[in-house]
Amino acid sequence: MSQLVFDLVLRTGDVALVAVALSAAYSLVRFPNIATVYYATIGPFLTYVLARVGLAFWLAAALATVAVGVLAVVLNATVFDRLLRSGSAIAMIGSLAVGMLVTAVLLVTAGPDSMRFAFALSPPQDLLGARVTALQLWSMGLSSAALLGFALILFFTDIGRCMRATAANADLARATGIDAHGVIRVITFASGVLAALGGICLSLKGELNILMGPDLILPVFAAAILGGLGNPLGAILGAAVIALTEVIAASTNFGPLLGQAFLFLPVNYIGATSFAILVLALLFRPYGLFVNEVRRV
Amino acid sequence: MPEPVLSIRGLRKAFGAHVVLGGIDLDIAVGSIVGLLGPNGSGKSTLLDTVTGFVPKDAGRIELDGRAIESLDPGAISRRGLVRTFQLPRMPARMSVREVMLAAERSGSGLADALLGRRAPSALAVDGLLERLLLTPVAEQPASAISGGQKKLLSIAMALANRPRLLCLDEPTAGVHPNLRQEIMALLRDANAQGVTLVVVEHDMAFIRGLCPRCVVLDRGELIADCAPDDLADHPRVVEAYLGRAGARAARKAA
Amino acid sequence: MFDFILHVAIIAALNGLLALSLNLQLGYAGLANFGQIALFGAGAYGAALAFSWGFGPFAGLLLGLALVSLLALVFARLGRSLGADYWGIATLSIAEILRTVATNETWLTGGAQGIGGLPQLFGFDLPGTLALAAAALLATYLVLRGVTQSKFGLAVRLLREEPQLAASLGYDLAGLRRRVMLISGVPAGLCGFLYAHYVTFVGPDQLFASETFFIWAMVVIGGLANHSGAVLGAVALQILSASIPFAKDALGLTSEYVAAARLTLTGGGLLLFLLLRPQGLLPERIGSVRA
Repeated sequence: MSQLVFDLVLRTGDVALVAVALSAAYSLVRFPNIATVYYATIGPFLTYVLARVGLAFWLAAALATVAVGVLAVVLNATVFDRLLRSGSAIAMIGSLAVGMLVTAVLLVTAGPDSMRFAFALSPPQDLLGARVTALQLWSMGLSSAALLGFALILFFTDIGRCMRATAANADLARATGIDAHGVIRVITFASGVLAALGGICLSLKGELNILMGPDLILPVFAAAILGGLGNPLGAILGAAVIALTEVIAASTNFGPLLGQAFLFLPVNYIGATSFAILVLALLFRPYGLFVNEVRRV
Repeated sequence: MPEPVLSIRGLRKAFGAHVVLGGIDLDIAVGSIVGLLGPNGSGKSTLLDTVTGFVPKDAGRIELDGRAIESLDPGAISRRGLVRTFQLPRMPARMSVREVMLAAERSGSGLADALLGRRAPSALAVDGLLERLLLTPVAEQPASAISGGQKKLLSIAMALANRPRLLCLDEPTAGVHPNLRQEIMALLRDANAQGVTLVVVEHDMAFIRGLCPRCVVLDRGELIADCAPDDLADHPRVVEAYLGRAGARAARKAA
Repeated sequence: MFDFILHVAIIAALNGLLALSLNLQLGYAGLANFGQIALFGAGAYGAALAFSWGFGPFAGLLLGLALVSLLALVFARLGRSLGADYWGIATLSIAEILRTVATNETWLTGGAQGIGGLPQLFGFDLPGTLALAAAALLATYLVLRGVTQSKFGLAVRLLREEPQLAASLGYDLAGLRRRVMLISGVPAGLCGFLYAHYVTFVGPDQLFASETFFIWAMVVIGGLANHSGAVLGAVALQILSASIPFAKDALGLTSEYVAAARLTLTGGGLLLFLLLRPQGLLPERIGSVRA
C-alpha cells in the first residue's frame, strides 16, 4: 500500500510541475502553450551540458532553469504575443512549431540517444515499507519545494496578488495601476523556470532524451485541463487525478468484471488512460473539475 | 388588441446580485411597430438579449406565435422568425460587404445546394439594396473596414434580407449619418408594410415619434409606461426615470 | 530516378487531398483540427481491414468512408461545447488514442506491424497510380471549390468570422461545423484509401501527430482559405521534403540531419509564414462569391 502511495506521489510530481507551468502561463497569455513541454526538455539538456563542463549539479540546474525562463520571456515577446492576435489556435500551432525547432536543434546537437546524469546509482532503500531510490527522493523533494515556493509567491507576495488580479480581469487590473506587461513577463519567466525544473526532476529519476517533451504533451494537458486551464494550483490536483488513474489502471485486475480470472490493462494503454481522461474531461468538464471555485484577489 | 406575435411573461434576469430584468410582461401585436425606451442601464439590451436567446434568462415564458421559444438557441429562435440586430454590429474582416449581404438570406445555403450546384433564385436584389443604402462604393471592401454607421446600415439590411416575422433593432440610428436616418426609417416602414413586426430600441425621440405608434419604457428592469410617444412627456414615472425625482418636481412646477 | 519523381508526385497529390481537407476546416471554417491525420487513418485502416477480411477494394473504400464519417461526427460533437484551443487539444488527443489503439489491438489491426499486402488498385503501375491520384485531387479541388463558392461557403466563412452574427441570421452553427467536418472527411479518407493501396501497407507509424503538423504547414504556407494555395503548399513541401535526403548525401551528413531538417521544414515554415506572411503564398480572395 505504501508502495502504491509512493508511486502515486512520484507520478504526480512527474506531471505536476510542467502542468502548473502551462496553466500559470495560460492564466495571463490565453492560449495553451505547447512549447512549455519543450522547455521541460531544454532544462535537463542544458543542465547536462553545464554539468559536463564541470559545474556542480545544483549550479548547473539553477543556471539552466534561469536560462529557460529567459527563453520563455523572449519567445513570448517575439513570437507568441504576435501570433495570439490571430487567435488562440494559431498561437497554439505556433508554439508547436517552436517545439519542432527545439527538437530539431537537440537532434543534431545532442543526438537521438538517451542520456543519464552521472550520479552514482544507489540501490533502492526501504522507506516506510516502500522501495525508494535516493534520486527519486531528491526529485520529489525538488519538485515539492518548487511547487511550494510558487504557491507562496502566488498567495503571499505583491507580485502574486498582481498576477491573480491580472488573470481575473486584465483590464480592471490595468486600470488599478498594475503593470500588466510586467506581470506577464514575470509569470512567463516563472512558467519557464517551473517547466525546466519539472524536466530536470523527471530526468533525475530516469533518462533524458529528445522525446521527453512530446511524451509530456498529453498527460500535462490532461492535468492542466482537469485542474482548469489558468488555475495553476488546480493543475497539481489534476496531476494527482491522472496519476491515481494510471496507478489504478496498472494495478487493477479487470478479470472478474469480464468473467475472467486475470485481465490487466496492456502496458501500452496505461499511458493512454491520461488521453482518455483528457477526452472525458473535455466532454463533461472542459473548464476543469473545480470550476465553481471563486477567484479571490 | 390583435393576437400577439411575441408574448413575454415574468421574464427575469440578474447578473449576480444586480437585478436587470425584474419580471417583465409584454405583448407585441402582429404587424405593429413598438419603440422600446429607457435610460442607459434600464435593461433594454438585456431584454433583447434574453428574448433572442443570446443571454440565458433566469425565469419567465417567451412565446413566438404562441409557441414557447425560451429553451431554444439563438440560431433556432432566428429561424422561427425572431431576428435581432446588435447595438455595435461586428462585421467579418475576410468577407466583402456584398458577400455578407448575400449570406444574410439563408435560402439556398444548404450543403446539398452547394454540392448539386443549385442556385436558389434570390428574391433579394442585393445590388439594388446596397445602392439604396449608399453602400455600392464599398461593396467589394472587407465588411470590417467600413464605418460604424455603414456597419449599422448593413446589419439592418441583412436582418431584413433574412425576412423575419419580428425584427428587434438595437439602436438602429446611433452613429448613422443624419441624412441616412430617413432612409433607415423608410426601409423599416416598407418592411412593416410587408408584414414585419418591429421592436425598436432607440434614444432618438424624433425617430421614435416618426416610426412608432406605441412605446414601452423600461426603468431599472421594470416596465413603467406603455403609451403613444406623444403621451410620454406627461407620464410622471417616465419623467422621473429620465430626470430623477427632483427633476420631475421641477418639470411639474414649470408646467 | 524517373520512378522516384513519379513517387514524389503521387505522394504530393495524396498530400494535396489532405491539405484540401484541412483547408476547408481550418481555412474556411476556422476549425483548428489537430487530429487531421486520424481522418486519413480512418480511410487507410478501412482499406486495410476490408482487405484483411477478404473483401475487395470497393468495400474497403466504403468502410473507410464510413469510419471517417463517424470520426468526423465525433470531432464535430466535441466542438459543440469547446472553444477553439480546447477543441485543438481534444482532436489531438483523439488522434493519439486511435494511434494507441491501432498499435495495441493486434488481433484487429496487426499492431505495430500493421497490415500489409494490399493490392495496387486496378493493378496500376506508377504512371497509372499517379493518374488516379491526380484525378482524385482534381475532382476534390473542383467539388470543394464549388462548395466554397456557394452560399453554404459564405455561411461557413461567416461562422469563422462572426459566429454571433451568423447565429442571429438563423444559421445552425453546430450543424454547419458538422457538415464541414463530414465533407472534409471524404477527401482525407479517400487519401488514406489510395495511400494504403499505393504503399500496400497500413501501420500506426503513418499516424504520428507530426504528420498532422506537416499538413498544417502545407495549408499555412500555401494560403489559408485558398484551394490552389493548399495544393501548392502540398506540392512545394513534398518536393522540399523529398530532396532532403539528397542534400544529406551531398553534404555528407548523418541521418539525424534528415529528421531534423524535416522538423525544421515543418516548424520553421509554419513559424515563418505565421509571423511574416500569415495569408500564405496565395491569399484568400475576398469578394469572389458572386451569387
